[in-house]
Amino acid sequence: MLAGSVAHAELVGDAEAGRKLAGQCRTCHGADGYAQIPVAPHIGGEPVAYLAAQLTAFREGTRQHEMMSVVAKSLTDMQIADLAAWYGGVTAISDLPDGISADAAPSACITCHGADGLSLMQDAPNLAGENVIYIETQLKAFRTGKRRHAAMTDIAKSLTEAEMRAAAEWYAATQLTLTR
Amino acid sequence: MNRLLSSIAALALMAGLGLAQGAGVPDNLEKLSNFQQTGVTEFTFIEQGGDYAAGIKATLEKITMPDGFKIELYAVVPDARHMAVGPQGIVTFVGTRKDKVWAVTDRNKDRIADEVKDFAPSLTFSIPNGPCFSKDGFLYIAEQNRVLLFPAAEFFYESPDVAAFNLVEKGKLIPVEEESFNHTARVCKIGPDGKIYISLGQPFNVAPAEKLDLYNEVGIGGIIRMNVDGSAREVYTYGVRNSVGHDFHPETGELWWTDNQVDGMGDDIPPGEINRQTEAGQHFGAPWYGGGSVRTAEYEGEEVPVEVVMPASETVAHAADLGMSFYTGNMFPEKYRNAIFSAQHGSWNRTTPVGARVMVTFIDDEGTATTEPFAEGWIDENGEYLGRPVDVVNLRDGSILVSDDLAGALYRISYE
Ligand code: HEC
Ligand code: HEC
Repeated sequence: MLAGSVAHAELVGDAEAGRKLAGQCRTCHGADGYAQIPVAPHIGGEPVAYLAAQLTAFREGTRQHEMMSVVAKSLTDMQIADLAAWYGGVTAISDLPDGISADAAPSACITCHGADGLSLMQDAPNLAGENVIYIETQLKAFRTGKRRHAAMTDIAKSLTEAEMRAAAEWYAATQLTLTR
Repeated sequence: MNRLLSSIAALALMAGLGLAQGAGVPDNLEKLSNFQQTGVTEFTFIEQGGDYAAGIKATLEKITMPDGFKIELYAVVPDARHMAVGPQGIVTFVGTRKDKVWAVTDRNKDRIADEVKDFAPSLTFSIPNGPCFSKDGFLYIAEQNRVLLFPAAEFFYESPDVAAFNLVEKGKLIPVEEESFNHTARVCKIGPDGKIYISLGQPFNVAPAEKLDLYNEVGIGGIIRMNVDGSAREVYTYGVRNSVGHDFHPETGELWWTDNQVDGMGDDIPPGEINRQTEAGQHFGAPWYGGGSVRTAEYEGEEVPVEVVMPASETVAHAADLGMSFYTGNMFPEKYRNAIFSAQHGSWNRTTPVGARVMVTFIDDEGTATTEPFAEGWIDENGEYLGRPVDVVNLRDGSILVSDDLAGALYRISYE
């Protein structure tokens, strides 16, 4: 499943073409990828490869969602690359809440998602500033198999409900700023 | 000082009535125990003035309404969704699709809120979208997969540790495997029969056939009702896609509700719906119908195995009709009495956006319903949203409140 998406990521997207296409995304994700509705995640400043892989997964049906499956159904590989270039071209900055130390971050997550929720690898997403319920929903989707990923499925299965909520609250409390 | 005095007054009143936190709660309902609490004892207060409020006020100047009506910023409330006005008219509880419920207080009764803070911060909420009140002052909050009950919430919300009881314990509203984030904004109201009615959206664009038996049994893609001691749960409404607003006609007691219809069929179909239900167990067509009489591609050509009630009023496609209330006040002109005020959240997959407005539905003597725009102007010239209305409720003085989860605000509409 990831092999296909890596191939798409190699298509070099045109951010300007992506900006035009993003008109159909902004009601939910904002023009720069800052989410406008609670069910949608922030996508500005995510790794380009991650964005392309998820859009492809929605189109192929390997990741399903009532809204995103409708949105992605008709996107071509080139359009996906363009959109990934547009949203991936945003710079994401994350701040921990006042008086909170990075030492308190959930240790099981930081190697890939960072203490501040900014991803440290190309195929992992940022979690900074996502709301608690979005993060929890995705963890449960990995746990139940609705969403699959070699690393995340096992990680999600190893967490208790309370640990999920605590990790979600940690990342939700970080302050995401997007700039272009 | 003011706050202290009024809460002491409230406590004195409660003591005088012989009430305590928990009084009058049915014996079988379990009090929420401590391990489900976060131990947070501090409130989060939301600033009401400043640049943010000024920006919202500038938007409100662009809103058009029939002559004589006025719209003002009532409160800044992040992620504001469905509302429940306390029976005393002191506090309005506002749900969100995140993890907070807000308590909005107008102590000096100048019709602008003085204080907005989170309700019961020591509790962990998940999608607490739907608050509703019983006449005797019990607050219910319908979440993703739980319904809590707070006795005399209007008096006790000043404490971060308010007593909570399970009406439906976590994991029992729907099977845990069926939980989703989308289509999970629950709405509740207490009916004229004293039962609580709760909407349960189904998570798909069009529900697949293999899910239908389970959904019909649980009431997913429907509206359920039960006694306020949690007993006698039953499915009241079938064939719903995702209803996020309902209310009972003040005279007939019939349940009217909005529904959000299927996406991906084109800009102009299927229509949105306002439905009228005349008896328990009626079926409203989903997933065979995508909205109105438009058949879904997934079930095309298949014989519809149930008798279907068509909508009382069809609304423009994709506008996303959400919260609604019958107008029961005396402030507005006579023609609005018992009319429905409802919110259109606005479309997301239409070439030109529609919605983001408050609608009014008049019902004539024959029961024919006609829906027209009432307050609009939240879409700017570039097709961008300046606000997205979610719910409408009556205030005691006959004005109405409108919530907006994009701007994060409540508006008050009055008439002079
Ligand atoms: C109607 C709202 C809506 C629209 C329009 C929309 N999205 Fe989404 N998007 C969502 C939701 C909701 C999710 C979360 C899906 C889930 O829960 O699995 C999502 C998820 C995503 C993700 C995955 C992000 C992650 O962190 O995993 C990407 C990438 C994405 N959308 C891109 C887009 C692009 C590009 C467009 C426009 C072509 C778009 N979306 C249009 C609602 C929307
Ligand atoms: C080994 C690296 C790794 C670790 C450790 C890890 N993750 Fe992930 N995480 C990923 C990758 C890769 C993805 C993308 C999965 C996919 O492609 O669907 C992901 C996706 C997610 C998502 C989905 C986000 C979105 O935008 O949709 C969430 C939520 C998440 N991880 C939470 C966590 C939490 C919480 C922890 C710690 C308990 C954790 N992860 C630990 C690599 C990791």
